[in-house]
Amino acid sequence: MLVTNIDTIPGSEIIADLGLVQGSTVRSKHLGTDIAAFFKSLIGGEIKGYSDLLVEGREEAINRLKENAAAIGADAVVNVRLTTASIAKGAAEMVAYGTAVKLSDKKPA
Amino acid sequence: MISALFDRINEYFISYQQRISDAPEWFQKIFGADSLWDLILKNGLQAFGIALAGWLLTTYFERRHIALLTEQESKLQHISLSTTDIIDAQATEGVLLTGSIVLAHDIFRKLIITIRRIIGGNVILYERLTMRSRRAAIIQLKEEARIRGINRIINIRFGTVEIPGRFLSGVALVAYGTGVKSSSPQ
Repeated sequence: MLVTNIDTIPGSEIIADLGLVQGSTVRSKHLGTDIAAFFKSLIGGEIKGYSDLLVEGREEAINRLKENAAAIGADAVVNVRLTTASIAKGAAEMVAYGTAVKLSDKKPA
Repeated sequence: MISALFDRINEYFISYQQRISDAPEWFQKIFGADSLWDLILKNGLQAFGIALAGWLLTTYFERRHIALLTEQESKLQHISLSTTDIIDAQATEGVLLTGSIVLAHDIFRKLIITIRRIIGGNVILYERLTMRSRRAAIIQLKEEARIRGINRIINIRFGTVEIPGRFLSGVALVAYGTGVKSSSPQ
């Protein structure tokens, strides 16, 4: 499954537009991460726990996007947008949405 | 009126001395004082010393991070970036690349920012933090591109989001774009 955030797939031709597909996830970290983040904020710098939260959540959202696209028989997803929203204390929602398309020159994922 | 205020402070100091006289000896050595001015000077110097040491230490961490970013940027110079979605006809392999980072301020800078916000205007310390975050996010994008053998990233988008932790909130910076293998970069 090819995923891009431009209108085309380089090297392939789009023959059909299958409509909107999306994938989302809400993730949180355990209490220990928040405690570690608190102590890290005394000296400043990167908060690894929250960075990981974003990375894991985004991968999960993109994987679900790919699953949804595969379910309707798409070859690729173009024009993907990523948004992140803070839902509750210590939790963030990651959403990936895009347009599922069929390609004339089918490539393996 | 001012003399009344000084009397009030002196009264407080005497009650402070009485309370501290029950405490163990080591505690009296650190927190005890012979006169009011002695107490103010001692506590003021301690607070100032801690603040100065913390400021210098965190400034060192910040400088080290910036030096690391500069070093990584110079290594990844061969990957060109663009916010447009124009690609040349020979380009192949479009993949979605993402990078994100959560940076936090230390408590000393937070205090300065709190004071700065009373007046308003540009908060330079926050500007520096977000610039560092953006550079780090771009470096993550480029690092992922380098591993995949990609030499151009197009249609780059940035997003900022607050991650509300249970005790503090961090500002996350997300960058994403499409990596293409392009025969003619630029």
